[in-house]
Formats: sequence, structure tokens, C-alpha cells
Amino acid sequence: MLLVATTVVIGAGAGVSAQRPPTVAAAANLNFALAEIANQFKVDRGTSVEVVFGASGTLTRQIQDGAPFELFLAADEEFPNQLAKAGLTRDAGVVYAVGRLVIFAPNGSPLAVDERLNGLARVIKSGKAGRFAIANPDVAPYGKAAESVLRKRGLWDAIRPQLVLGDTIAQAAQFATTGNAIGGLVAYSLVLGPGFAERGKYAVIPESDHRPLRQRMVLLKRAGATATQFYDYLQGETARAILRKHGYGVPQ
Amino acid sequence: MDWTALRVSLWLGAGTIAILLPFGIWLGRLLAVHQFRGKVLVEALVTVPLVLPPTVLGFYLLVMFGARSPLGQAFQSLVGQTLPFSFEGLLLASAIANIPFVVQPIQRGFEAIPSDVRDAAACCGLTPWQRFTRIEIPLAWPGILTAAILAFAHTLGEFGVVLMVGGNLPGETRTLSVAIYDRMQAFDDRSAGVMAATLLVIAVATLMLTTTLSRRVGVRRG
Amino acid sequence: MCDVADRRLSVRIQQRSPIPLDLDFTCDPGDVLAIFGPSGSGKSTILRSIAGLYRPERATIRADGEMWSDTASKAFAPPHRRAVGMVFQEYALFPHLTALGNVMTALGHRPSAERRSRAEELLRLVHLSDHQDRRPHQLSGGERQRVALARALARAPAVLLLDEPFAAVDRTVRRRLQDEIDELRRTLDIPLLLVTHDFDDVVRLATHLLILDHGRAIASGALADLTSRPDLPWLRDAVGLGSVFEASAVRRDPEHGLLALTFDGGTLLASDRGISAGTKVRVRIAARDVILATSAPDGLSLHNVLPGTVSAVNDDPALDSVVVQIAIEGVRLLAEVTRDAIGRLGIGVGTPLFALIKSVSIEILADFRQI
Repeated sequence: MLLVATTVVIGAGAGVSAQRPPTVAAAANLNFALAEIANQFKVDRGTSVEVVFGASGTLTRQIQDGAPFELFLAADEEFPNQLAKAGLTRDAGVVYAVGRLVIFAPNGSPLAVDERLNGLARVIKSGKAGRFAIANPDVAPYGKAAESVLRKRGLWDAIRPQLVLGDTIAQAAQFATTGNAIGGLVAYSLVLGPGFAERGKYAVIPESDHRPLRQRMVLLKRAGATATQFYDYLQGETARAILRKHGYGVPQ
Repeated sequence: MDWTALRVSLWLGAGTIAILLPFGIWLGRLLAVHQFRGKVLVEALVTVPLVLPPTVLGFYLLVMFGARSPLGQAFQSLVGQTLPFSFEGLLLASAIANIPFVVQPIQRGFEAIPSDVRDAAACCGLTPWQRFTRIEIPLAWPGILTAAILAFAHTLGEFGVVLMVGGNLPGETRTLSVAIYDRMQAFDDRSAGVMAATLLVIAVATLMLTTTLSRRVGVRRG
Repeated sequence: MCDVADRRLSVRIQQRSPIPLDLDFTCDPGDVLAIFGPSGSGKSTILRSIAGLYRPERATIRADGEMWSDTASKAFAPPHRRAVGMVFQEYALFPHLTALGNVMTALGHRPSAERRSRAEELLRLVHLSDHQDRRPHQLSGGERQRVALARALARAPAVLLLDEPFAAVDRTVRRRLQDEIDELRRTLDIPLLLVTHDFDDVVRLATHLLILDHGRAIASGALADLTSRPDLPWLRDAVGLGSVFEASAVRRDPEHGLLALTFDGGTLLASDRGISAGTKVRVRIAARDVILATSAPDGLSLHNVLPGTVSAVNDDPALDSVVVQIAIEGVRLLAEVTRDAIGRLGIGVGTPLFALIKSVSIEILADFRQI
């Protein structure tokens, strides 16, 4: 039994060793875009990174608690700024992309999608509104944006009882597509992902309806060479092209 | 199929058993054989992880050992990393969560030994250690094996506390159960399905093992 | 060879709770001390204290020339360091070992090469050789009892303790086990303590008796002495009065269905039971079966007319009969008669009387082998 215990500890230790590629924390809206960029990075530079997706708020919390991420791509600016202020980052970082919100309705849903959310208003009025998915505004910037859009259209109070909150924007997108919900407000980059086109219809929400989803990234204090390389790579043309392809705006 | 995640899960299960079995044998036997003041409290404490939501355990571990706590900072300066978000931290959380799964079957195993058999062993000239290894362990081993199997299976199925305390770090704290969640979030239902089926098979196999075991014991005792 | 005083067991126990106990007794090697009393009187606690399984509030226990327990000097030898052999009420055999394995467990003090053969020898002694590879659940109650006995003996004990050894066993098996134990104790020559609530065990096996009630000894002494005391109401109520003493069978007369016995009080004619001449037996005569006469009668069916002198009379007004103790040479017999008879025959201490006993009233209890 002692032998097992020793082996385990050694094995566990081995897992922590410097051989593993650096871990990058990324907001869930980057699910498809960043996977592609990371693959391209491997092809171009020969090194790889591991990506962990989650809600920006949750990831921030984890970093504060000591999670060993080396680079953090958030879905907003506030969370990275929080970390910078706490002295956990190398610097204030840069804005790497601007995200967009869409309203999505799966096939067969009574919800008609349009950028002004008139379809949604109609469904609510008809009393036949089912579940509507957004990301949790407390931890996901896209959820916060969704809330402000709904408030702007005067639909927040009416839709509130029907809301189902995803831990991350990706989970919200899942809820929106599984057919248990009539639809949801999800990330543009996600509905542009593989397999989404056949699942339903979407309409892009005007940027003016919410605070811009300026997405900032920061290198953490412990970032190593590879993470720094990746940080630079993300600001390069190859990465930007991929981001644009996935529906993001990129800063000049 | 995420083989790394499976490896992490298996190591977590094995590690949990390695830590808990000696502890469980000591405590299980103590509770089975001795009467003492406060025994009821100890037994209740042993049962607490059963009724406690895993998130409570995760919360306290983060608060007590996270980078923002004095303990966590001390740990970090000593070892170079925090306890949460490490495999070791996960092991600690898993060990705590599995205490009732290990202690209770072992306690039952030792309780099943009639006290006069223990007395007779003493009267045969066996020292306390010899009594323990030659009489008690051979008679209590079904309980010990059940404890090991249950804890292993339960560890494989842990999710909430793994996510909270471990984060989702590949190769380190991304267990199979978390990998399923991760794959679903990435809209990769196929992978998620394969892994879910794997866990299901393991769970069923575990149940079959424990049932066969308890039947075999019944036959042996006559 | 240690001398007798060294190998004697001496026990003094005092405590108030959980079970009140207050005892002080000894047992010499070769003697069988039966501790007799109702359930809850503390009998098992005494045995457990001697074995070291229980620590009374105050105890001084000496055996095997060593101080096993002495609360005053805080000396305490744990059970595995006492040369004690204990047979438990429910046998307490190790379920995962064979009969042989069970016995071998107690042979740790022997070099390992010898253990197996010694264990086999012990099982032969208790007539269980052909079952030695069986597990306890494959053995009958009597067989398990024998394994327990062999295991207790394997320890080469300085004291043998039997806790209600026949409680879970049926009558016929019980008789045989009692005989085997009796046979053993002659060869062992160590103090043997027997706890029981069945007087039959006492009468068949004990040389000495200690009557226990609520943790105190009501009476203690040699069996023959205690059973011929006229004034033990507890014994009277529990099992009835009757003298127990040793005798030898001298002549069989199967034609007439008679057996002649000699004892310290003369000769007795008992019913023939197939016991051969030269056998030592133990005899019990119930007080109710003894008739008193002032002169030797004629023309009666009974064979036994023994002359003696009244040595004590116990007249308890709470009872409806009187117990008379008659000294007949070296033995004292008890007779239970009506108060009226006392008056009519003028019975008092010193009165010469005849004790009349029917042959069929003579209980022959143990059938010892000829030494």
C-alpha cells in the first residue's frame, strides 16, 4: 500500500513538471476561434499551448486563487483589469478582439429572429414563451451584454422568469440549440462554428445596443516564453484573420 | 476518448485509496472495537461528507488553501504552487469527500468480528499486532475491499468538487467526468458520449464486483 | 518443579460498578473450582479478570508463580502474556482457520517446526483427529467445543478457565464432554475454574464450589463439605440439598441388579448401571431421599441402613421441613424431614440414628476411568 502511495505521488509530481505546454485560460466564446489559432500556432511555430475555456469571471476567480494559467483571454476588459490591479499580471495587456452578440432560434422554435428582437417581443406577448438562454451576467461578459440588450428593448422584466442561465456563453449556446429553449442570446463566434448553420437561424444584434464587447488579454506574472510567443502571435495577421473569420472585429 | 483525462481519473482513484485505506482501517477499527466519549460525534463527522454538497467542500478548500489565504500562500512559497488547481489538492479534496465511503464499510467489517473471538486470540498468546494481522484483517477483509472499490468508483464520478478545486487543467486536474463536461461545452458530443459510456461501464462493473463479493463472504462464513 | 503454593491461583477482586464484586478465593493445582450462580452475578467477569480481558477497580491476581494483576502496584500482565487457557461460552473459534489452524495459533511459544505435530497431538487428545482440516462452520457444537478445549490446552496454561462450556450443547454430548474434561484435569494438574449456572456440571466435575450471588460469595469450600451443610438456603432453593461424595465400585451383581460401593462412611448398595468393579465414582444422595430411624428396621425393601450420629440440625421456621446432618464415619449426609418427626424421634445434636437409603436413590454421577 505504501508502494502505491509513493507511485501516486511521483506520478502526480510528474504531471506538474515543466514538460507540459503552458495553459491558456480563454473565455468560452473563443471555443472555435482559439482552437483554430492554437492549431495554426503549432504548425507555424512548432510549439503548443493548452487551452482551458470557461466564463471570464470564473477564470478570473481561479487565477486569483492561484490557478497556474500563463495567459488569460477574457471576454471583456474589466476582469483582466481586476487582475492587473491585484498585481497578478505582467502589464495591462491588450484588446485582441471585439465580440458580437446574436439572437438565435433553433429549428422548430416559435421564435422569429430579428435584430430588434421584435420576434421575441411577439412570442412573449403571445404567452407562449418557453425558456430563453443567456450566459450568467455575473460571470460572463456576454451575459451582461445580453442583459443590457434585453433591458434596452424593454423585455428584461418580462423574459426574466423564462431565463435559463448558462455558466458560460458556450453553455448558454448549448441550451439555446438543444430545443428545450425557444432560443437565446449567444456569441456570434459560436454560431459561426461547425454544425451550427443547420441547427437554426440567427440575427446579429447591433453594436449600439450594448457596451462594446472589447475582449482584452493579459499575460500572467508566471508566463513563460511559449505563452509570451502565443500572446504576440495572437496580435499577428494570421491570428487576426482567423478571428475575423469567426465574426470578431479586430482592433487596428 | 481523452486518455489523459482517464489517466488522471485512475490516478486520482488509486491515490485516494492509497491515502484512505490505512486511515480507514485505523479509524474503522477504532470505532468498531472501542467505546469512548465523543464516539457519536466522531461517527457523525465521518458521515458529514455524505450529506454535504461537494461545493461546500470545494468552497472551504479554496478559501483555506487558495492563493488568497495565508495557508495557501505559505504552501505556495514552500512548494511553488497552490494546493487548489493541482493534482495534490484534488487528491486532498477527494480523500476528504470519500471518508464515509471508506470508514463505514471497514467499520462494519470489524464490527462483524465477535468480541470473544478477539478475546480468544489474546488468550492464545497473540500480541495485539498479531491479533490484528492474523485474526482481524483476515476476517474484516471483505469490508476493506468493499471500501476500496466504493471509494475508487465514487472518485471516478466526482465532479463538483473537482471542478471547483481543480479547475479544468488538462493532464493535471481534468478528470474523465470533467472532460465530459468540457467536451459538451465545446459542442463535441461524440467524445462526451464515449467517455460517458466508459464511466457507466465502470460504475456497473463496480456494483457487480461488490455484490459478488458480499455473496462470496456469506458462503464462506457458512 | 514449582511447589504447590507457587502454582496456586489466588484471586481477590473488589469493585462497585458496573457489576458489584467482592471476592477472595484460591484454587490449587489439580482442583476444579466451580463458580456457581445465576446469570448476572458476575461469574464471567471473574473469569475475564483472571484472563486479563477485564480490569476490575481493584484486583490482586496471582498465578503461575507470578503476579498477574495488582492494582495497588499497578502491575498488569496483558492476556497474551499470561499462561491462561480459556474456553469461551460460544467457543470463539477463528472462523477462517481449520481446527488444526485454530490450535496452532496458540502454539506460538513453540518452535515452528513442532507446532503442527503438537497441534495434531492435542486434537487427538480430544478425539478430533479426523476432522482437523475442517472449518468451524463445518463442525457440530460438541466438536467445536473440543477444538476450543484443545486450543486452550495448546497454550500450556497455568490456569484453565471454562466459561459455561456446556451451555450450548445437548445432554448426551454434554455428558461426554464432562467426562473428557474430568479425564483431562487429572493429567493436567493445574487449577481449573469452571463457571456455570447448571448444578449438574458442578456435581460432576467440581472438587470445590463457590456460590456467587450479586458479586459476593455466599459460600465456598470443598464440594463434599458444602453439599453436606444443612444451612444453605440458596442451594436448597436453587437445586435442592444432597450430599456429594466419592466412592469406589467394588462388586457388581448384575443378577440382582446391584452394585456395591465403598465410601468413607461404609458400604452402599446401588442399582447396577453396568459400571465395572474398581471404578471410582461420585455419588449424590438427595436429602429428601434419606429416611431417619431410631432403630435398624426389619422387613423393608431397602438395602442401605447406615448407623450414625446427628451432627447438626437446621430448623428454619420459614420452611416446612427441617434439615438434619448426620455424621456417618468420615462422611456427612443430609436428611430432610418434617418438624413433627424431629419431635417424635427426639432428634437433636448427638442423637444416634440410622440413615435409610433406597438403592435407586443413589445417583452415580461420574464414571471415572480406573487409574
